[in-house]
Amino acid sequence: MTTLKSNCPSCGGPIEFTAGSTIVLVCPFCRSAVARTDRGLQDLGKVAEIAETQSPLKLGLKGTFNGERFELTGRAQMRHELGGYWDEWYATFSNGWVGWLAEAQGRFYLTFYQPMSDGATVPSFASLQLGQFVEGIPSKTPLMVQEKGTATSAAADGEIPYKLVPGEKSDYADLAGKHDAFGTIDYSSEPPWLFIGKHVTLAEIGLGDALPVTREARQVSSEAMRCPNCGGPLNLVAPDQSERVTCPNCNSLLDVNQGNLTYLKALAPPPDQPDFVLPVGADGTFADGTKYRIIGAMVRSVTIEGIKYFWHEYLLYEPTIGFRWLVHSDNHWNFVEPVNAADVIQNTSGIVQTVTYNGQTFKIFQDAPAVVEYVKGEFYWRVEQGETVRAADYIAPPKMLSLEMTAGEMNWSLGTYMTNGEVEKAFGVRGLPRPWGVAPNQPFTGRFYYTWGFLPVLLLLIVAIFLIPLTGLTNTVLSQQIVLPPMTNSAAPQTIFSQTFDLKGNRNVRITATAPLSNSWADLDVDLVNDQSQDVESVDIPIEYYNGVEDGESWSEGGQDQDAILSSLPAGKYTLRVEGTWQNWQQQMPVTVKVEQSVNRGVNFCGAFVLLLIIPLLNLFRKFSFESKRWKDSMFGSGSSGGSDDE
Amino acid sequence: MFKKLYIVFGLLVLIGYATAGWFGWEVANSGSRSRLGMPFIYNGFHGGK
Repeated sequence: MTTLKSNCPSCGGPIEFTAGSTIVLVCPFCRSAVARTDRGLQDLGKVAEIAETQSPLKLGLKGTFNGERFELTGRAQMRHELGGYWDEWYATFSNGWVGWLAEAQGRFYLTFYQPMSDGATVPSFASLQLGQFVEGIPSKTPLMVQEKGTATSAAADGEIPYKLVPGEKSDYADLAGKHDAFGTIDYSSEPPWLFIGKHVTLAEIGLGDALPVTREARQVSSEAMRCPNCGGPLNLVAPDQSERVTCPNCNSLLDVNQGNLTYLKALAPPPDQPDFVLPVGADGTFADGTKYRIIGAMVRSVTIEGIKYFWHEYLLYEPTIGFRWLVHSDNHWNFVEPVNAADVIQNTSGIVQTVTYNGQTFKIFQDAPAVVEYVKGEFYWRVEQGETVRAADYIAPPKMLSLEMTAGEMNWSLGTYMTNGEVEKAFGVRGLPRPWGVAPNQPFTGRFYYTWGFLPVLLLLIVAIFLIPLTGLTNTVLSQQIVLPPMTNSAAPQTIFSQTFDLKGNRNVRITATAPLSNSWADLDVDLVNDQSQDVESVDIPIEYYNGVEDGESWSEGGQDQDAILSSLPAGKYTLRVEGTWQNWQQQMPVTVKVEQSVNRGVNFCGAFVLLLIIPLLNLFRKFSFESKRWKDSMFGSGSSGGSDDE
Repeated sequence: MFKKLYIVFGLLVLIGYATAGWFGWEVANSGSRSRLGMPFIYNGFHGGK
C-alpha cells in the first residue's frame, strides 16, 4: 500500500495515510478509526482519547535502531485485564521495516513481526504455561512465557498497521529470553502473530534526548484530587500509572481510572494496626544516587504451620526508572528490583532446590502463598485486601531472588539486603527499630575473621620453622653425676657444686635432675651461679617416684627425673649449686644433673597458636550459630547450610 | 575497625613470638626469669619438706 489522501468517512475531514503499511488511521478531527480496505475507507467506530501518561514518547519522534531510522507514526493504548494501561508505539522504518515499541512501567520493548517457518505453528493460548520455554518459534534466544492475559484496545492515535477495533479484547502472551530478548504472541488474529525483539533503552534507539524534558516537566505536576467519599485532599504522585489509592483521611480504597477516582470500599484494618516506620510520601536517595518516593505501603503475610508472619512493603517510584520496592520484615530491610524471568534458571537436579541468576546460585528458603493484609497510598495495579500470590524466596546473602506467581503472570525480583544505617541515610531518618533474628538474606559480617583470620596462624607456622635453625637445636652444656652425702638430720640439707660450664646468651636453659628413687622423694634447690658476676638464678626441682602392685595391677606415679626451664641468661661461665633434702636422709643421694640450651619445648608456639586461633574460631562458631538462626525460619530447614557473605 | 584491630593483634602476637624465640625468652616453668613469674606447668609434687 502507498500514501493515501482522502476524507474521513465519518466527519469528512481530510486524512492522510502516510506510511505504506498503515491499515487504520485515527481521524484527528472526530477520532474515528478509519480503515483502508480494497473497497475503500471503512469507519470502524470512535476511539477514546489517549489517556495522558508520563510517557516521554510522542508521535513524530524520530529514532534509530540497528542503523536504520524510524519514526513513531501511531500509538495504541491497551488496557490490562487487572487494570493499568500500556502503550504500543508504531515505528515506521525508512527501509520499510515495521516495529512496535511497547512501553510499560517505564520499560521499553522493540519488537518486529516474525513469520513462523513453513509448517510450524504458534502454540495455542491455552497450551502456554508460565515459565515454559516456547518451542518452535524462530527466535535465536529461547523465550519463556512470562505473562499471559487479555488486553483491551482502549485508545489509539495516528496510524496503526493493523485493523484496530475499539474496545476489542484479545489474548496475548509476553515472552522473555536471556540478554533482554523479548517476544509477544498476539492471539487477536488467526493464525496468531508473533513479534520478537528485545528490551531497549531510549538512549539505545536514539530517543534518549526526549526523556529529560518531558519527565522533568511532569514530575512537577503531581495531581491534587479529592476523595469521593470524604472530600479530603489526595495527592497522587503517579496518577496515570496508579490503579488504586487509599484515602489517608477516611481510610477508603479508591479506584483510579485515568485520573478519575471511584470509591470502592472502606479498608478493614488488620488486627494490629500497621505501624509503617516510613511515611508514604517520603523521599529516599539510595546508594546509586537515585531518589525514589514512597507512594504506597502495604502489609503482607504468609501463614506457615498455622502461624501468620507479617511484613511491610513500600512501593517506591521514580518517573524515569519506574517502580521498586523496599521490604521491611522483622526490622530488616531489602531493596527490591525486577529481573528478567528468562535470566533465572531453575535447577531441578540436586537435593536442595536452587535457581541460578547471573552465575550465582540461590537456595530455596520459602515457598508459600502471600496475602495482602492492608494497603495505604498508591499502587500500579488493582490491589485488594486478601489478594494472594504464590511467593517463593531463594537466597544467596546478601541477595534474595523472589518469585511471585499468579494464574496469568510470573515475576522475578532481586532483593538486596540493606542495613538500618543505609535506610536511615537514604531517608534522612534516625532511630529505626533494631532488627531481630537473622533475615533470610542477611550477610554474615564476620567472614574475614575465619578466612583471612587464619593467615596469622599460617605465618606463625612459617616463623616457627624459620626460628629452628636460627636459634639452634638442643645443645647439652653439662651432664654430670653428683653424689649428695647422707644428711645429718631430716631437716639439714646437703649441698654440692657441679663443674663449671659455659652458657650462651639468648638461649633458654633446661636443667634436668635424675635420681634413682623408688617410693620416695627428693627435693632439690638448684642455683645457677654466674662465676663472673656471682648472680644466682634459683630453681626448685622436686623429684618423687612411687610404684607398686595393687589388685594384681602394677602402678606408678611421678618419675625419677624432673626438669626446670628458665629463660635466657647472660652468656658466661656458670656453676650449679645443688642443695637437697630427701626422704631416706640417712643414705647418700646420687643425682645426675644435665644442663641444656636451645630447647624446643613449643610452649611459646602453643601460646601464640591458641591466641591467634581464638578470634577465627569464635567467628566460625558465630557463623554456625548465625546460619542456624537464619534457617530455623525456613520451610526448607537447615538442609542448605552456609551461604556467602558480603565481604 | 575491628578488622584492623585484629590484624594489629595478630601482628603483635607474631612479633612477640619471633622476638621471644630470638632472645630465648621462655614461658618458663621455674626460675625468677619466668615470664609468668610462677611455675607455668606444675606437674604435681606430692612429697616435699
